[in-house]
Amino acid sequence: MVNPKEIRDYAAGLLEQGRVKSVIGYRRGTAGCFAEPCTLTEPGEAGSLVWDPTCLNNLALYLVKDRKQQAASRTPDRRPIGIVAKGCDSRAVAVLLQENYFKREEVVVIGVSCEGTGVVDPRKLKNSLKGRSALKVEFGGGESIRITTRAGESELPAREVLADRCLECREATPKLHDVLFGESLAERGYDAPFRAVKAAEATSGEARWATWQHHFDRCLRCFACRSVCPLCYCPECVVDSTSFVITPQTSAEEKANRIRWCERSANTAESALYHLTRAIHLAGRCVDCGECERVCPVNIPLRLLNTKLEMEAFEQFDYQAGRDYDRPALISSFRDEDPNSFIR
Amino acid sequence: MSDPSQEPQKFEPRIVAFLCKWCSSAGSDLAGVSRLQYSPNATPITIPCSGSVSPLYILSAFNKGADGVLVSGCHPGDCHYMEGNYLARRKLYLVKELLQFVGLEPDRFRMSWVSAAEGAKFAQVVDGFVKDIRTLGPQNRLRR
Ligand code: SF4
Ligand code: SF4
Repeated sequence: MVNPKEIRDYAAGLLEQGRVKSVIGYRRGTAGCFAEPCTLTEPGEAGSLVWDPTCLNNLALYLVKDRKQQAASRTPDRRPIGIVAKGCDSRAVAVLLQENYFKREEVVVIGVSCEGTGVVDPRKLKNSLKGRSALKVEFGGGESIRITTRAGESELPAREVLADRCLECREATPKLHDVLFGESLAERGYDAPFRAVKAAEATSGEARWATWQHHFDRCLRCFACRSVCPLCYCPECVVDSTSFVITPQTSAEEKANRIRWCERSANTAESALYHLTRAIHLAGRCVDCGECERVCPVNIPLRLLNTKLEMEAFEQFDYQAGRDYDRPALISSFRDEDPNSFIR
Repeated sequence: MSDPSQEPQKFEPRIVAFLCKWCSSAGSDLAGVSRLQYSPNATPITIPCSGSVSPLYILSAFNKGADGVLVSGCHPGDCHYMEGNYLARRKLYLVKELLQFVGLEPDRFRMSWVSAAEGAKFAQVVDGFVKDIRTLGPQNRLRR
């Protein structure tokens, strides 16, 4: 099992030697027992780093945020950044590298393995504790999670509380890393990849539409799912007219004439357009970190849309985002044997 | 979008057809000059290459009330830009799968390879598509 002290020492070392300007990691949060993302700039702060099943966030997002900040800064600091990365975080870093968002030498990936488990789903945790609140959530070794409440310590089978994406995770150990803490386990006894998508596909088209219509109708268009995604980094977003760049030179006419593919009104049709566009824009890029689904205030099962395309990419084109980062991107490559029979 | 054809009258499918200018668009032209009779329900939009079709075009067409969307390009190996149609094939396969996954009827989106010499095939593709859409009825799922 990963000893957090090793991560702390390594992070402190990086900062001490001046190899990085900062380290992005997790520390104890203020909201219950959950960890929160943090940026360390001094070796002395490294003691606050933690690594446990409450480290939900995909930290690659903060690499993107830093990039944007440096781009806007008058005195950009381009020194490398260290980042604590689980399997999914490291896949996101890999896709960002593949897309030349930054260079390999600009990031030091401190890989941590989820080994036999992963991170918890706060909703599942709440249900399984039946109203009590957890004080501490730790890896229990093997496929179990140790939970401390006021009533004492207990071990739960990880399957009960793990996030859905962790149950279907194919790579719980970061492949892309500069240093790796924890063991890499090839076999984990949870769900087969794409289980949820396959279950959804087994239902009829009518039933699927009924479900999605219901979900699209509920979407608030708060764009939380877009904001949290490490791969939704475009400064201008095609589905959101308020993000269109306006400079002092932009004329009223230009503003009026910009194509608005998607209106901002939160109705079923526009939200459908938003979600389908989002899914397509993430095809071959989404690393299934499940962050979009986690942050959605109305619990829309967003992962399904992304994993559907992930499954097609894998099954039809033998492509996995984050694994094949040395290959051309999914959408900008082809093979002669790609499916053709659907074309008349 | 206001729709004047709300009164109960015969359903006429509205199809948006994205046609590559190097092949299918010329194919539709050939169908015309050869005086072939085929359904007038497809609105052609000429595009530089099937590879230039953004998924947004398709989603947007459905959003704005298309009953069916057709993308037609050059046969594999014949792309004017060497590989545009291969890229289109992969990209639009994903769009097709996604649309079906959320429950749009599979017959509403179609792709075809039609060369500049295949006027008759073009007429046949459009006729077949219109016939299928007629059985499905109007597309109300994704339209605003
Ligand atoms: S987070 Fe949920 S409610 Fe907000 S825009 Fe995304 S899907 Fe809609
Ligand atoms: S779409 Fe969702 S699951 Fe995929 S990378 Fe973005 S936040 Fe993660």
